[in-house]
Amino acid sequence: MKRRVISALLCVVLVGSMLVGCGSKKEESTSDGGDSSASNGGEKIEIVSKGFQHQYWQAVKKGADQKAEELGVTINFVGPNSESDIADQVQMFQSAINQKPAALGLAALDTDALLDAISQAQAAGIPIIGFDSGVPGAPEGAILANASTDNYVAGELAAEEGYKAALGDRIKNADGPVRVGVMAQDATAESIINRGLGFIDKLKELVEADGKTISITGNEKYVGDSAIDDKKSEDGDVIVEVVVPSQVTNELSAVDCQTLLNKKDIICIYGSNQHSGEAMITGNANLDKFGEGDDKVIGIAFDSGENIKKAVKDKVFIGAVTQAPVAMGEALVDLCVKAARGESVSDVDTGCQWYTSDNMDSEEISQNLYD
Amino acid sequence: MEKNVKKGNAFTNNPIVKMIGTQKIVVLGVIILLAAFFSVLSPAFRQYSTVVSIFDYSYYVSLMAVGVTFALITGGVDLSIGTGTIAAGLVGGYVVGHYDLPVAVGMLVCIAFGLFLGIFNAVTVAILGLPPFIATLGSMMVARGLGSIMAGASSITWPQAGTPNGWFRSIFKINVGGKMIPIGFLIVIAVVIIMSIVLNKTRPGRYIIAIGSNKEATRLSGINVVKWHSLAYLISGFFTGLAAIAYAATFQAVVPGTGAGLELDAIAGAIIGGTSMTGGAGTVGGTLLGVFVMSLLKTGLPFIGLQANWQQIITGIVLLIAVFVDILKNAKK
Repeated sequence: MKRRVISALLCVVLVGSMLVGCGSKKEESTSDGGDSSASNGGEKIEIVSKGFQHQYWQAVKKGADQKAEELGVTINFVGPNSESDIADQVQMFQSAINQKPAALGLAALDTDALLDAISQAQAAGIPIIGFDSGVPGAPEGAILANASTDNYVAGELAAEEGYKAALGDRIKNADGPVRVGVMAQDATAESIINRGLGFIDKLKELVEADGKTISITGNEKYVGDSAIDDKKSEDGDVIVEVVVPSQVTNELSAVDCQTLLNKKDIICIYGSNQHSGEAMITGNANLDKFGEGDDKVIGIAFDSGENIKKAVKDKVFIGAVTQAPVAMGEALVDLCVKAARGESVSDVDTGCQWYTSDNMDSEEISQNLYD
Repeated sequence: MEKNVKKGNAFTNNPIVKMIGTQKIVVLGVIILLAAFFSVLSPAFRQYSTVVSIFDYSYYVSLMAVGVTFALITGGVDLSIGTGTIAAGLVGGYVVGHYDLPVAVGMLVCIAFGLFLGIFNAVTVAILGLPPFIATLGSMMVARGLGSIMAGASSITWPQAGTPNGWFRSIFKINVGGKMIPIGFLIVIAVVIIMSIVLNKTRPGRYIIAIGSNKEATRLSGINVVKWHSLAYLISGFFTGLAAIAYAATFQAVVPGTGAGLELDAIAGAIIGGTSMTGGAGTVGGTLLGVFVMSLLKTGLPFIGLQANWQQIITGIVLLIAVFVDILKNAKK
């Protein structure tokens, strides 16, 4: 009897979970699609993002919703639970294709994992528009256009402005070797990799222009792909150390930051997205090493969010690079609609800006900063 | 656990060793060894700030682990504590930020959410009799989704230190003249003492251990098994809520969709500390020591320059050894 009750319950749970699963998807589409559900004959566009956890994505979605309403199309904006869930994203993209939308928007967590599905979409004749990271290495012609920040350029901007503001002087005046830490959330997403490499390569250029040598150590992917020639030793006047956590958790990244801050020769840490920037704040909490002045460590962040904005405002970080997420969302939907209607499309660079405590309240910058 | 000491040798028959328990002394030794090992290899590790950090990152795991120890001792498990902690932190923080309420309300919401999760698990496991692994796997997913929905699917920032509502961050750490004092450790010690007394010296605690040793015999001796079995999961839920407060006080942002995996750190801590996977044995003090082994590994391994993935491999091996020791102990019995 008891066993029968249990098996009956299990069935209910099973069926229930299926129903809930289906139901929640519908809910997502209505809530995420904003007010655009009543559009007349508008195209349906499926957008697969990297998730919703960071406010950055909310800002992208806001731009996408605005544009969708303006153009009278329906969008379904989805994303995996966390930016480590590569397999979940593949599934989401697969089911997005199965909905036979007029166009697909995609910000790939891991391009290789998505290649099969991308080929399927291509075979089904569904145009794909990349955004944020885009989808590097996709089959020729599969991605019609990208709406993205040129992340390599954004990384370069961080290095250039950081160097100009304080880092350059510290390197030039150093008695011995100095260390620059690069905190990257992962070594799989194109956006994160390029922001790291852009920073590292630009730093190399600047350091060598000042007659100093540079070497790199740490995560193999970054070490291998960087333009720095000395990849083996820690002999440079400037040592770049790249750290990538095994899992994207607050704790692991904060410990990574502390480890860097505790090295005697550290003079600067660059965190290449909101997650890394927040981990830098947590990691600094007990050490209080970031700030201005020669005995402090220079902090350079990326993106915004309440904590990073406050750290920049209080001059804990000397500055950060922000993208233009709202404009990115708008450009994405615009490109999707054009592609769906058979018009020709080309890449849109949605831009990036350097902000500090001095200019962050200006209208030009503040529209791109989010809480 | 005390029972295995009976036969032992001179060491295990020593009255002090008997009082504390062999496993706890071994784990304490491991902690000292690990700390010494990291200190020798990395000068940066031998710093006051590192100690503060180890404490910082151990509070929420400690609290989760104290709670889950009760579920483990009944012979069950509670997998929902990880995503539950994040969900409670999201909901509590959302209430504070969105409705402009005092942070104390948010903290109460955390505890209420934890208790809700505890009740949910108590109903499925103790009353409906579902296998704890499956039941709490379900509630783990429910918590993960529910937290995201209730917080509007975006990451939540609790009030910052220095703002009027930021006082709650100094529950665990106060700044005395620029020096950080990890007072949260005192709270955790107090919690461990209280819960040790509850587990070992009160009737409910004794019943919970009895359920884990032999549920049928406990029922036949006229004890309300459903009631005390439920209590174990309620305690686990309550501590999930407390852990959420500790998490929010330590980290900058609570991020929806995360939290899966945190429960394993807490469960691993409890197992390393001598709680038996099969139930009926375990101590709250041992759990705290076990959590410290995990925290030391997590904080220490990066200091000696081990790349991220090696940290996981080593932590996994330590856990395997601990479970193996548990099996050996049971075999001796």
